[in-house]
Amino acid sequence: MDALATTPELIPARMLNEYVYCPRLFYLEYVQREWATNLDVLQGRYVHRRVDQAAGRVPRAEAVTAEVAIHARSVEIGSEELGAVAVIDVLESDDGQLVPVDYKKGSAPDLPEGAWEPERIQVCLQGLLLRANGYVSNYGVIYYVGDKTRVRVEFTPALVTRTKQLLADARALAVAGSLPPPLVNSNKCPRCSLVGICLPDELNHVQQVTGSRPTAETAHGSDKAGSVAPDVAPARREIRRLFPARDDNKAVYVQGQGYTLGLRGATLEIRDKGQAVDAVRLFEVSQLNIFGNVQLSAQALRALASQEIPILHLSYGGWLQAVTAPPPHKNIELRCRQFQAAADPAFCLKLAKALVGGKIRNSRLLLRRNGRRLPPEALSQLVALRDLVERGTSLAELLGVEGSAAREYFRYFSTMFKLPPDDAPPFDFTGRNRRPPKDPINALLSFGYSLLVKEMVVAVLGVGFDPYLGFYHQPRYGRPALALDLMEEFRPLVADSVVITVINNGEIGPDDFLQRGEAVALLPRARKVFIEAFERRLDQLVTHPVFGYQVSYRRVFEIQARLLARTLTGEIPRYIPFVTR
Amino acid sequence: MRNRYVVCYDIANQKRWRQVYRIMRGFGDAVQYSVFCCDLSPSERMLMIMALTEVMNQREDRVMVVDIGPADGRGKACIEALGKPLAPNSSERITVVV
Ligand code: SF4
Repeated sequence: MDALATTPELIPARMLNEYVYCPRLFYLEYVQREWATNLDVLQGRYVHRRVDQAAGRVPRAEAVTAEVAIHARSVEIGSEELGAVAVIDVLESDDGQLVPVDYKKGSAPDLPEGAWEPERIQVCLQGLLLRANGYVSNYGVIYYVGDKTRVRVEFTPALVTRTKQLLADARALAVAGSLPPPLVNSNKCPRCSLVGICLPDELNHVQQVTGSRPTAETAHGSDKAGSVAPDVAPARREIRRLFPARDDNKAVYVQGQGYTLGLRGATLEIRDKGQAVDAVRLFEVSQLNIFGNVQLSAQALRALASQEIPILHLSYGGWLQAVTAPPPHKNIELRCRQFQAAADPAFCLKLAKALVGGKIRNSRLLLRRNGRRLPPEALSQLVALRDLVERGTSLAELLGVEGSAAREYFRYFSTMFKLPPDDAPPFDFTGRNRRPPKDPINALLSFGYSLLVKEMVVAVLGVGFDPYLGFYHQPRYGRPALALDLMEEFRPLVADSVVITVINNGEIGPDDFLQRGEAVALLPRARKVFIEAFERRLDQLVTHPVFGYQVSYRRVFEIQARLLARTLTGEIPRYIPFVTR
Repeated sequence: MRNRYVVCYDIANQKRWRQVYRIMRGFGDAVQYSVFCCDLSPSERMLMIMALTEVMNQREDRVMVVDIGPADGRGKACIEALGKPLAPNSSERITVVV
């Protein structure tokens, strides 16, 4: 694998600590610049709140004698020779030598060494940095804030050798530019802040069911198998879901024309002609969607940006027009792979087969579950088309098969609506049409797909992809092709199923539409009902077909995007679409 | 998942009281004078504590944080209001559409 990282700059002692904890964590954080705040990270910041403010002076090495008393906070020290850098929480003097003190949250562990190895290595590296700058430093201290214990760590020759070795290993890993495999069944993972990004158990499982661990070279292109992923049996051994099943935060949608959004303290206030109509606490917002003519104050924009909350700007009809997101994810390595893979026709075809195959399976499943008086050939047609997908040899061919499958599916789509008592179909629907949709069901479907697109854009941006470069959908100006790729398998499961639900529950009826010329549009009340139903669907827990645990659709989107990322970097041999059973 | 917390405070000085009030508005709903009801995840609770510690005077002020249990379980069941009814907790909505 080509190294994107050339000789790394100075490695922070904090990162060496991560390396000792788990080399993969080090690589994700230091090379790929992945970052996540979890409770541990926040608690760490809290215990550092005082020591993080630089204070006190440190004299030059010659001036440190037994008589000088030093107490300095947050001291930055580096050495080109060692190739490392550190911020020492507290620096004290003891009889002419310097003692680095590192603050840790929690209580001192019950270990003969008094502290965990990653922490001892980190403080030892701080000592080595002091030595490299001419100071004398023979021991360091780890201060556990939880039980206010000071643990003394002697810089013994053995510890020094080990620290230097680990530093060299960490640098070699960064230079090599290849992500180490996840730990297997480790109890370190549940505590790891990047567990939701790393997906250790999931990757180990996928590697197990898809055969041997691939090498980077066979990751894409040269794999000639090229068939659609067959069903993968759910986990026999239980896979730990080490991240929350659903997102507690809420999406905010503003569609009231002429509304303005402003900041009031730490809440986002939505106003109509200056009058507050609603307010949401900033930290509870997961994303903000604004439709059409809605104004957002610069202050609110900055507050949202600082919380890394994406803002989706949609036309009133739901077309995604712009995304305001934090600067692109720092994982440049992934985008490089994305561009390489998109230029590889064999990879594109293989992935497209998985995506289209997944979509057809899920369409068939939805019909089978909900269709009434469904002619048996409806389902067998879809099976036949799915088999055609597996034999497809070009993207153009797949597009054709996908089109036929969609026609078949939509031909029977209205069998999924509950019939009203008088047996007359409530809505006349015979097939898909768009731009503009010409009947109520098509209006709902179009609106549903546009919500799904923007949801997928959020997911792929979060993972670090470029949403505009796809593999199956070819790039076209302004089209988030990658989001369109990944949403294929979810069109039936999420968008179509919401359409069926709102109709069958009577939440949306014939009076909720406006006919204007050829076009049919949803009235505002119905849009609100639909968005709420869509959000409920995203929040719903489903059993992941491969991993066997319960997780919300919104999380599933993210997991699938991460699996695709891991396919591109060669960690797993192929993308497995999300297919429910 | 979030737990429900009742947060009450005694702040000795008006200026700090207002600062605390503003912080608390970002974390929960005001239910009484100097009392908030907040649904917080462990991380959000930590953020709230960090924000409060920043403005409090450790000698003169006191903030009490009472954990009353899972927001959609015991947390909801165990608050009773006599007289004027309590407004529903705003964090219970799963989505906001206006
Ligand atoms: S989740 Fe586990 S394997 Fe992944 S980075 Fe963290 S500790 Fe390492």
